[in-house]
Amino acid sequence: MIKIKYENVVKQFPGSDHLAVDNLNMEVHEGEICILVGPSGCGKTTSMKMTNRIFEHTSGHIYIDGVDNRDINPIELRLGIGYVIQEIGLFPHMTIADNVATVLVEKKWPKNKIHQRVEEMLNLVGLDPEIYSKRRPSGLSGGQRQRVGVARALASDPPVMLMDEPFGAVDPITRARLQNEFLRLQEQMKKTIIFVTHDIDEAIKMGDRIAVMRYGQLVQYATPDDLLSMPANDFVSSLVGGNRSIKRLNLIKVEDIDLYRPPEVAEGDSKTKVVEAVAGDKLGVALVVDDRGKLVGTVTNTDLKRKGEYVKDIYAPAHDLVGPKSTLRDTLSIMLGYGEGYALAVDQEGKPRGAVSVDDIFSAVKDNE
Amino acid sequence: MNRRNLIWIIVSFLLSVATIFYFVNYPGGKMAARLLNFETITKAYQQHILMVFVASAAAIIVSVSLGILITRPFFSKWASIVDNIVNIAQTIPSLAILALFFTYLGRGFSTAIFALWLYALLPILRNTSAGIQNISPGIIESARGMGMSNLHILTRIELPLALPVIMGGIRTSVVITVGAAALASFIGAGGLGDLIVTGLSVSRNTLVVAGGILSALLAIFLDQVLDLIEDSLRIR
Ligand SMILES: Nc1ncnc2c1ncn2[C@@H]1O[C@H](COP(=O)(O)OP(=O)(O)OP(=O)(O)O)[C@@H](O)[C@H]1O
Ligand SMILES: [Mg+2]
Repeated sequence: MIKIKYENVVKQFPGSDHLAVDNLNMEVHEGEICILVGPSGCGKTTSMKMTNRIFEHTSGHIYIDGVDNRDINPIELRLGIGYVIQEIGLFPHMTIADNVATVLVEKKWPKNKIHQRVEEMLNLVGLDPEIYSKRRPSGLSGGQRQRVGVARALASDPPVMLMDEPFGAVDPITRARLQNEFLRLQEQMKKTIIFVTHDIDEAIKMGDRIAVMRYGQLVQYATPDDLLSMPANDFVSSLVGGNRSIKRLNLIKVEDIDLYRPPEVAEGDSKTKVVEAVAGDKLGVALVVDDRGKLVGTVTNTDLKRKGEYVKDIYAPAHDLVGPKSTLRDTLSIMLGYGEGYALAVDQEGKPRGAVSVDDIFSAVKDNE
Repeated sequence: MNRRNLIWIIVSFLLSVATIFYFVNYPGGKMAARLLNFETITKAYQQHILMVFVASAAAIIVSVSLGILITRPFFSKWASIVDNIVNIAQTIPSLAILALFFTYLGRGFSTAIFALWLYALLPILRNTSAGIQNISPGIIESARGMGMSNLHILTRIELPLALPVIMGGIRTSVVITVGAAALASFIGAGGLGDLIVTGLSVSRNTLVVAGGILSALLAIFLDQVLDLIEDSLRIR
């Protein structure tokens, strides 16, 4: 099903002699993430903003569910489209709860329903409503603000979302985490999303389809896989970069591969038990889980040198874990930073799923080629 | 609550009371005593505050509306013209404005109000338009992108965000008006200026000093009260 269709769309800003968007033809399928990627000034943001008529196109047509968006009242149109802009644009004078409630208030939802929905949304993006709903945006970190931006756009459950570099202004680790969480949400939501980025790694990781733009023109529109294996021209090749095997690591997620499971011990187990477990493991590591089954740490030979009767006295706390949505590329960089030949993977609840080793990454790339 | 504001508010209030008691007890002669009594001083205060209040309230209504109007995209071409007029008008001394209106409208309270109003417009207008214009465009755009109507963008986003700045303009304006209202006595509008004007004409220094101190303290008092309000509106 085609959700959004661009037909010969042209945008020329008043007083400008060149076309910001030059004859864009593109179809976005329902439930897919369509990534717009390309160098600065190539027209990504402009293309996105014509979709909800923040910018009016000079000529051509944009259809949403087969209806020309010029035939829809702009307010109605926008109420049905989630919107996250480059600078996030949270309202500094409003609490986080009021920010998230914006569209619901515009849609005249009853107060108690709004309250309930806001809590639900904050939980969804991993912000405890107890702590955050009464704060103002200035009291949040960059990553938290991005989450609020996403929660606000999702609040009224719009079928279409426009996101302009929603994870742009945060450090790489936070960014990877936000991406993973968003992909997990999208798995359930199945929204039609137009997502702007100029990071090709993000494009390959997040996109069901990628639109590469240059000088206002659509250069190639393809799945990440096709983009990597069949770049349309030199520009696309140079954009995806020389080392395509590395880029391919962005395509494979931890959940896609079979993982080796090191032995597990409980916090309360005796040291003798963990000595055995570590000795018998091929990676030389035992995973420590708490009484709810969450991964809390690891024991290796180094930790065994520590004094203590029980596992809880000697284990090293877990850090730099990867999740099911982490790409092998994220995993590889964590592995390199970690200094071990493996990285540990957990599921959504934090329960151990296994270890990803360098060999796993090698073979996954080989199979994929 | 800002301690510094509170201290100034209390100090200026107490000093005013002390000043009044001092000059009522030591008016410096029979002639001055006719003005330096509680009844006359209360009346002067009433007139002064009424002048400031009416002129400021009218100025707030007009300037805020005008400020909103010139920041609408449709009128954006007018914004710089209005700004220029405002800046030039601001350089005319208040006494000159009073004199001008006196010539054409005659003596009296309403002439004074009109002149004070005109003079009070400018800072509020400038701050209203600056307060709205300085809101980051991303904020307005995301409001629009989420389907907010223009009216809601104004009432829920622009005005609340500009409010501290508008309040700053109101504060400047009120302080100027308190000072200018002291001059309004020259055109027979009453107020604390009466003490000064009469004192000058009959050469009684106590009158001049009392009038000067009291209007200065009134300006400080109102300035600090408004600063306190402005501070509480600031977005953190
Ligand atoms: N409001 C505007 N008025 C005039 N020209 C504009 C406007 N917005 C964008 N442009 C121009 O249109 C072209 C495309 O800009 P656009 O913002 O779509 O780029 P982009 O691909 O999003 O870049 P970036 O990655 O830097 O965000 C640029 O040449 C830009 O200068
Ligand atoms: Mg952009």
